[in-house]
Amino acid sequence: MLRNILQFTKFSRASPTILANNYSQYEPHFINPVFKKDEQEALIKSGEISKIAFVPIKAPRNNDNSSVFHDHRVSKMVNYIMQGGKKELARKLMSETFERIKRIQIERYHKAQTEEEKENIVLNPVTILHMAIENVRPILMVTPVRRGGVKYQVPVPISEQSSYYRACKWLVEASREHDRKTHLPEKMAFELLDAANNSGRVVKRKHDLHRLCEANRAYAHYRWS
Amino acid sequence: MLLKSTLKLLNNPVNRLLINRINSFNYGTVTSSINLDFLKRDKTSKAMKAYLERAQQHDEFMKTQNEEFKIGKRHLANMMGEDPVIYEDQEKIDEAISYLMPSALYDKRARPMMKPPEKIFPERKAAEFDETGRAHHFLFYTSKPNFFQLLYDAVEHLNGLNKFEDNMTRQQKSVDPALRLELSGSEWINQDQLELKLVENIQPVEYRYFVNVMNRLIEHPYSFRVKDFIDIYRRPLMNQTIILDIPKPHIDKDGKSFITVYECLRKKARGDVTVRFPGSGKILINGQDVTYFEYDQSREQILFPLIFTEMLDKVDIEANVEGGGPSGQAGAIRWGIAMGLRSFVDADVVEKMRYAGLLQRDYRRRERKKPGQEGARRKFTWKKR
Repeated sequence: MLRNILQFTKFSRASPTILANNYSQYEPHFINPVFKKDEQEALIKSGEISKIAFVPIKAPRNNDNSSVFHDHRVSKMVNYIMQGGKKELARKLMSETFERIKRIQIERYHKAQTEEEKENIVLNPVTILHMAIENVRPILMVTPVRRGGVKYQVPVPISEQSSYYRACKWLVEASREHDRKTHLPEKMAFELLDAANNSGRVVKRKHDLHRLCEANRAYAHYRWS
Repeated sequence: MLLKSTLKLLNNPVNRLLINRINSFNYGTVTSSINLDFLKRDKTSKAMKAYLERAQQHDEFMKTQNEEFKIGKRHLANMMGEDPVIYEDQEKIDEAISYLMPSALYDKRARPMMKPPEKIFPERKAAEFDETGRAHHFLFYTSKPNFFQLLYDAVEHLNGLNKFEDNMTRQQKSVDPALRLELSGSEWINQDQLELKLVENIQPVEYRYFVNVMNRLIEHPYSFRVKDFIDIYRRPLMNQTIILDIPKPHIDKDGKSFITVYECLRKKARGDVTVRFPGSGKILINGQDVTYFEYDQSREQILFPLIFTEMLDKVDIEANVEGGGPSGQAGAIRWGIAMGLRSFVDADVVEKMRYAGLLQRDYRRRERKKPGQEGARRKFTWKKR
């Protein structure tokens, strides 16, 4: 009973109507596939696999596969680079970026004098992409809220998914911004390496946003009042 | 007062019979005719009179329909030149009808059919009130007694569970997590099914009430105690026959076993895939190797099921595809390979393939352009003036 009282006092509003996505070809009870072997192993270990034993599962999409070379972040990044549906070109740009990163890092590796220095150099470009994205992810952003005819920039926390989206988008934007003579892979390699090193323009952009949130903290209560 | 009138009612033999009948089938079709003679003598309410007339009409109608159905079966037997006895079987009737009157209509309900009248004409509710006009059910005046009885029962169960939970907390006992209801494999019956079950028309809003109340019931930690009640309104999510029905491989003249999967579809691509075992990892697509596909992504798609089941160098693949573009063709072949591989791998690997979604056909198609819009979703540039 106590549980119920808590439930009803805290969230005493009518449960929202669940609207099915009209456009989806799959029925709403279909769940996303688990096509990575290690993810499946983890599910089996935790015993959660029994929960989906009788649930229909969607087919994996065209850019999904279980190969060791497949990475979720990379395929997402390819989608952000893509323009006008030219996925093959986007993939080419991404792999070219990785090649450049690899060359730069190997050069550094060979130039390094001591063993300790060598150990600190990350040679895997995919790891560098992950590091860069983690370093660039914002935790706060500002949304305009209108109060008494004045627009206030109100700081709000953002979800994990949207923070990843913003990080990727900033990285791609920064790589596109420069003079039109440098190609995207070239610029992007530098941006990623910079961001992985926790420096560079994109990290600065994150700090700027955080600073703006900090400056507007007085308006934070407009989020709920 | 009440007792007196009921006693008086019960003294009349016709009435007693009628009350028995009405109580005995609350929901369902009235199948036998009712003697209307006493209407002249008794003071029966207008509603009851109307109902009895309607019931009699319905009964007569059903009777003629039943007769016609019987004669129809005999005619069918004559036309097919067979013994009428075998047309007691509904399957045989359907077979004969589809033979005599072949139809290419898409909707199955639009095709000619011959079924027992009880299946064609919807069930009707029997009288919900007695001949003085008094309702049997306490929720009669909601006009949907069965539906509101369902909600009532659900809340009753919920209150019972709350009481039980309180008792348990007093005894400082907690729920055994192993006993929790496992409902991931089923879902609530949809509105149409619920309507059939309750013999009442239900509005979408009311269906939502039903789902909300029932969801609250299953969220209760002790909901396993009312499993029987919950199970009446759940239906299983998946038909497993497709997955369990794994074909046996054929043997070709070289002694290799093989499986051919026809009708591999994805987008506009159509094809068939042959998987040979044992093999050495050769892949032939329309007479070419994997380089048939220009793009890496399509090649990866072909290899996806092979890598996943670790059969890359143990089978040979032969595929013919036409129509569509590279990604559609690759998707069609991927599905064909995955379906073919089922015959050559263990049962648990097949299950893992299902979790990976490899056995699910991708039915998504290009979304159509809409009038008044630039494309499927994009709108024309809009200017106020």
